[in-house]
Amino acid sequence: QFVPSDPPPPRRPVQYAEHNESNEEKQFRRVFQQLAGDDMEVSPSELMNILNRIVTKHQDLKTEGFSIESCRSMVAVMDEDSTGKLGFHEFKHLWDNIKKWQAMYKSYDADGSGFISADELPNAFRAAGFPLNDQLFSMIIRRYSDDNGNLDFDNYIGCLVRLDAMCRAFKTLDKDNNGTIKVNVQEWLQLTMYS
Amino acid sequence: MSGIAATLQRRREKDRGIGSCSQAVKYLNQDYEALRRRFLESGSLFKDDAFPAETSSLGFKELGAGSYKIRGVSWQRPTELTSDPQFIVSGASRTDICQGALGDCWLLAAIASLTLNQEVLARVVPHGQSFRKGEYAGIFHFQFWQFGEWVDVVIDDRLPVKDGELLFVHSAEGREFWSALLEKAYAKLNGCYEALSGGSTTEGFEDFTGGIAEVHELKRPDAQLFHIIQKAQSRGSLMGCSIDITSSSESEAVTSQKLVKGHAYSVTGTAQVEHQGETKKLIRIRNPWGQVEWTGAWSDNSMQWRQISSEDRERLSHRSEDGEFWMSFTDFLRHYDRLEICNLTPDALSDDAVSKWALSKFDGSWRRGSTAGGCRNYPDTFWTNPQFVIHLEEEDDDPADGEVGCSFLVGLIQKNRRRARKLGEDMHTVGFAIYQFRDQRNVHLNKNYFLRHASAARSETFINLREVCSRFCLPPGEYLIVPSTFEPHKNGDFCVRVFSEKQADFQEMDDPVESRVETIEIDEDDVDDRFRKLFGQLAGGDCEISSYELQKILNRVVTKRSDIKTSGFSITTCRNMVNMLDKDGSGKLGLLEFKVLWTKIESYLSVYRQKDVDNSGTMSSTEMRMAVEEAGFSLNNALHQILVARYSEPDLTIDFDNFVGCLVRLETMFNTFYTLDKDKSGSVELSMMEWLNVSML
Repeated sequence: QFVPSDPPPPRRPVQYAEHNESNEEKQFRRVFQQLAGDDMEVSPSELMNILNRIVTKHQDLKTEGFSIESCRSMVAVMDEDSTGKLGFHEFKHLWDNIKKWQAMYKSYDADGSGFISADELPNAFRAAGFPLNDQLFSMIIRRYSDDNGNLDFDNYIGCLVRLDAMCRAFKTLDKDNNGTIKVNVQEWLQLTMYS
Repeated sequence: MSGIAATLQRRREKDRGIGSCSQAVKYLNQDYEALRRRFLESGSLFKDDAFPAETSSLGFKELGAGSYKIRGVSWQRPTELTSDPQFIVSGASRTDICQGALGDCWLLAAIASLTLNQEVLARVVPHGQSFRKGEYAGIFHFQFWQFGEWVDVVIDDRLPVKDGELLFVHSAEGREFWSALLEKAYAKLNGCYEALSGGSTTEGFEDFTGGIAEVHELKRPDAQLFHIIQKAQSRGSLMGCSIDITSSSESEAVTSQKLVKGHAYSVTGTAQVEHQGETKKLIRIRNPWGQVEWTGAWSDNSMQWRQISSEDRERLSHRSEDGEFWMSFTDFLRHYDRLEICNLTPDALSDDAVSKWALSKFDGSWRRGSTAGGCRNYPDTFWTNPQFVIHLEEEDDDPADGEVGCSFLVGLIQKNRRRARKLGEDMHTVGFAIYQFRDQRNVHLNKNYFLRHASAARSETFINLREVCSRFCLPPGEYLIVPSTFEPHKNGDFCVRVFSEKQADFQEMDDPVESRVETIEIDEDDVDDRFRKLFGQLAGGDCEISSYELQKILNRVVTKRSDIKTSGFSITTCRNMVNMLDKDGSGKLGLLEFKVLWTKIESYLSVYRQKDVDNSGTMSSTEMRMAVEEAGFSLNNALHQILVARYSEPDLTIDFDNFVGCLVRLETMFNTFYTLDKDKSGSVELSMMEWLNVSML
């Protein structure tokens, strides 16, 4: 049996990264600490609880609520270190995006139905910074909308979070900016299985 | 996933040599040459936003906002402090380094040792920097080794000043600034100046050289220590020694024989001489003060020098008060407490005269539930740790007395978590075990192997230091190195390095990534009447099964079973299943497609039942690893980590619906890849739109 040695006395701290925080960030950190619990990381179910608490406050957003599966997927695409949970910076990035896209959802729901319909979707996505081609828009509608082509709020957010992450991953890998990426089977699975 | 793309990209850059000492990684993407050119052209001085001249860069507690220690501190450039600032005056020397108001003597001791090795120093402090007109733009850069790669750190030259004096490191004569700027760059890399307070010289040695540092306790010396020191010297290693203190009042206390306690000395040479019919081992030591020398046997003017051959005397003795002196190895062991040897990597030296260690290095990670297996005390999970194999082929040229074998050093270094969750200690208790190993197969070894085999060697301790390092001498052969945290389920990233006397082949032991799942071929004849009737009832009028219908069917079936746990199939999982088998693109499953799916689900269920060894109704993360294999997928560590992170519950178990969701997605992604890789080249090239088309599904 191994026995660990006595720990040495405390030493210099690891990276002291948060020394540049604004007041707003400090406030956000306090909120984060409450949400994330003792381990200081947000798990998929913690994320689901937060998001669902928010959507119930906004009656104008049509949604069946965020499912655990879609929260798992959101955590996976935002997770920087493959721990299955979101740390402070990862969560903040997600949070800022959700706030931005929520405002957009309302302004692009032209008929005030509470959904983004199939014809509202391309404009909403273009405004969010994703000028896709028609083929991709119709694929997204097939995959994320209901049978009538309506995209509700949770699917809208789930889709954009994923789209955003996929685009970032592509850009990271396309370092020489030649418009294509090359991946082997292992890299392919690492990227697509964790999404 | 965002991190995965970044990790993949970093690995590609590493393969292209970025991060090696000739192509350092640009810290925070700041490019020294480009920035300097820009500021020279604009005629203004560089101000570094990434490490601003503010309290936050000083510290957080003792040097934090509101602390009396930083009252009255301002930031000034050397040009404001003195009329004729110099970067380096006639080469760096130890007098350039005088400690300031910061407890970073460990760092300064390491810098002082560094000045003894011009070549290594020249890399940390790149040439061509000065305050000369036309060259000076308020910007400087330094290079450090950080967890396996060289990092180029850019700073501006605004330094903290109090009462007209530099607050921290300064040179003795006051107008030479390389040491103060070097300290600032190292502070930037570590977040702030205060982060440098307290540490060990070995850490500084390593960050300046990329070498691997061993500590020898001289009260329990290795039997071959003298031989080790001789070899280290011939390899150009940096060596330091010191006498421990038992209280801070003893610091720099001088003993009756003029040795200074709690002070960092350098070891600069060894010799053997015939003295009164005996072979005597001698060691040469240098006090970086440049004075205060040992007065005992073999010191500068001692009688022993008269009792040896004139050749030896000629060769060795010297009598100047320069801080350097000889002592017998026995006295050395008696008076000193620790010896630190920093072995340099081959890339840290270009001088061919010194023989070098061969270096092999791997990055790895432990993840809760998949590859964080803990130490051998936890046989159920120990085998899941990352495994590395080293082939030692040639014995040392120059074995120490009676010891024939291959000498090598293994260093396991834990990387700082990128996100500083909190201040203070954040180190894991880590160590490693080494197994002799005979099979050539390159596969991850399983639990049975470790139950049946005893380790051949292991790290001396499991300890929560940044690095655990041990020296071994083993017969030629193949050895498996298993680095781990002491307890299982601790997330962490590490780098494991092996320094060997002879070239050794070192690789990660991992399984190939491939799918051995066979396609299920079914035609009309394979479907019996009972199944046909059942399908008819389920499919309804359109004779096809949609994702929603599939979800209802599956949930009806699985919730009846008490032997499997599930939270119910999500619509996403069902959609993935339909997508995987929907050959005609209708978005629904016809009879044959549904029959194939049903056959698959039956086989998933049988694997699940079979691998649920403890009958818990769920897969534990280790059961999962074996189940995935049983289902026909061979995956490596990185992928096992991902599956657990993506599909497990907080208690690290995987229930049936997630299990099926995982296998379905795996099969689909393997199939997609094989389809895209038409010419079987092993890789696929995709445009952005093609990428989104497959990854957004």
